[in-house]
Amino acid sequence: MAKKIYDVIVIGTGAGGGMTIKTLCEAGLKVCALNAGRRLNPEKDFRYHRMPWDMKFRGLDDPKRRDSFGYMDNEYTKAAWDHEIPFTVAPGTKWMWPRCNAVGGKTNFWGRSSARFGEIDFRAASLDWYDVDWPITYDEISPFYTRVEKMIGVASTVQNRPSNPDGTYLPPFNFRCLDYILQAGCEKVGVPFLPDRCAQLTQPHEGHPACHFCGECTTGCDVGAFFSTPYFLLPKAEATKNLELRTDALAKNVLVDENGQATGVAYIDRKTRQEVEVYGRAVVVAASCIESARIMLNSRSRHWPSGIANSSGQLGRNLCDHLYGETARGYLPQLLGQPSFPDHVADSTIAWMPRWQNLKDPHEEKFIRGYSVYPDGGCQEFPGFATELDGFGSSFKKEVKRRYPAPVSFGIQAPTLRSDTNYLDLDPEVKDPYGIPVARMHFQWDENVLKMWEHSKEVCAEVLRAAGGELEGLGDSPEIPGWSLHETGTCRMGNDPKDFVTNRFGQTHDVPNLYVCDASVFLNCTDKTTTISILAFSLRTSEHLIENFRQGEHKAA
Amino acid sequence: MAGQGIQRREVLRILGTAAAAAQFPGFSKWGFACGHIGNAALQIKPAVYKPQFFTPAEYAAVERLADIIIPSDATPGAKEAGVAEFIDFMVANDPDVQYRFRLGLSWLNAHSSRTYGKPFADLSADQQISLLTPLGFKDKARPGEEDGRRFFAMMREYTVTGFYTSEIGFKELDNPALKFYSESPECPHKEDREHRHLAPTNS
Repeated sequence: MAKKIYDVIVIGTGAGGGMTIKTLCEAGLKVCALNAGRRLNPEKDFRYHRMPWDMKFRGLDDPKRRDSFGYMDNEYTKAAWDHEIPFTVAPGTKWMWPRCNAVGGKTNFWGRSSARFGEIDFRAASLDWYDVDWPITYDEISPFYTRVEKMIGVASTVQNRPSNPDGTYLPPFNFRCLDYILQAGCEKVGVPFLPDRCAQLTQPHEGHPACHFCGECTTGCDVGAFFSTPYFLLPKAEATKNLELRTDALAKNVLVDENGQATGVAYIDRKTRQEVEVYGRAVVVAASCIESARIMLNSRSRHWPSGIANSSGQLGRNLCDHLYGETARGYLPQLLGQPSFPDHVADSTIAWMPRWQNLKDPHEEKFIRGYSVYPDGGCQEFPGFATELDGFGSSFKKEVKRRYPAPVSFGIQAPTLRSDTNYLDLDPEVKDPYGIPVARMHFQWDENVLKMWEHSKEVCAEVLRAAGGELEGLGDSPEIPGWSLHETGTCRMGNDPKDFVTNRFGQTHDVPNLYVCDASVFLNCTDKTTTISILAFSLRTSEHLIENFRQGEHKAA
Repeated sequence: MAGQGIQRREVLRILGTAAAAAQFPGFSKWGFACGHIGNAALQIKPAVYKPQFFTPAEYAAVERLADIIIPSDATPGAKEAGVAEFIDFMVANDPDVQYRFRLGLSWLNAHSSRTYGKPFADLSADQQISLLTPLGFKDKARPGEEDGRRFFAMMREYTVTGFYTSEIGFKELDNPALKFYSESPECPHKEDREHRHLAPTNS
């Protein structure tokens, strides 16, 4: 029997893979998509809308299997996360990295903040002389953002911020009491406080229902009222009949022919534990930043002794991440004793304090670039502040109730700078249960990002005080690297094949029929979240790939 | 990722991290009582809760401590919410904290015997309160009782967690979570952006 050859093999079904699969299938290409985990059944697997007392461990999950990513990987979502594929850390590195290997990846539970990257990000190196510029301009990517916003629906407002290009938005989330109070404080300090760009549907959109504001987004949405690939992209791809989706298919390496060009992918069928090969005219790696690099580093052959498309030696290098952490916390006396109010309906993405540093002069602050802050607070599902309240007895109980509407806190999102010492390689000894070498992480926060952390603590404390709030504490230390799940780099795009893994379209310089569609092509992580940019860049890369089929650069199967 | 519930993260951090397995016997007071899930298999409700980790004497002390921290007063407290059952169940499933609880309860009994000549459970309610006051109130803290204060803080964290994740705890706060809204809820006092003039509503 002649072996079946698809047009394109896509590894991964998250934001990047999902967009690629949909775009290619709609263009008539035959796609085989590989996903390391299974397909979720939202009705069964999404356990949200359950009261904590309906859960065996109150939603907190079994202490014995819980890791500190429990806020996402918990009793509500445990069907979706992968605990089987390990990674290692180099001495001195701390790294936390939960993987959602279910179909749709992290889009099943993502944070939904969706700001565009801007020219200030793409041209950052020209402004402050650190690292290099991106190989594209904002004008080039802007139309793709517009199309993505139309597809997924983003609630926000036009804000005219120099660091944040505006897009096309659904009506924003309404401000809560705490937002108005903090906004007034921000005005006094001279810091912006605006509706976030939140991919949660404030009205029905493109056939998807409006949000019902239950506030359980990070445990999955069984009506699909925020963007995820299983709700928004895969059904469109499947409708074309051009998609074959293989689940429990853990990609091992990219296969190559005698010329070193990609011919397909070898994967492990996790049910049978057998290695299977699948063939295509082109291959798209979209397994997320670290997994994509791991797969490519593991794709060693006579042509590519250090990993496929790695003649630059930059594969797996230049890893960046967002520093996360609670910068300041306290409460707003104005709200003490007020009736409870549904403050939790979008977690922390109702409002944000978008980058305000180094806008006029790139060296205005003691650090370069900039960070953003997400404020949050009010009545949440659990009164976390109460665990640290002093005292006991009826007065304690009364104080918990009085304080319930009033707590506020601030979370920072700050980008690291590219560094030679932040990267991943393959662990020379440790292998996963399927015999594939695991990723070994090398990562430290840099001095610049730690200066942002210190800076943000001061500003957030000032904002809280200016708003009339009581400051109760500043962040001791940021979260461990990896926490944000916003890693970028490892396959950076650039024009010079000597320095970059992919060209400006996400196509690898060395292997023209191998493409990368996730945040690994980004030059750094900016102060914005990654998902909407992964979608926009993947859409652009997919259309470039389709054009290459049309031009005959890749022959259709 | 942005958008993660900070407060839920807090409680998970407090409850620590660890790893093993256990049988779930069901609870008498909370458990899976909710009709809206309708999973009959989960609604096991033994008449008397049998502690899985604590000895009967320890369990009695845990019940008493939870009751003192969040008492039944004008509204139901830790006792009605079955907080002691929650604590026993979580501790039974978490080897990392078992030693700290056992040690803390022994410390409390030793401290009680030193002060009043009998274990904590045998003290009068007033004696119990005066023993706990320096442990639970920062401004009443006494040197030499650091271990006791740490244990009390841990008991308080577990009590708060057990109480406010129960149906009774939700009612206590009029918790607005897990309800549906037709539009994103908006501040009702926009004319007073700084909220300087809200009428005090606390009883």
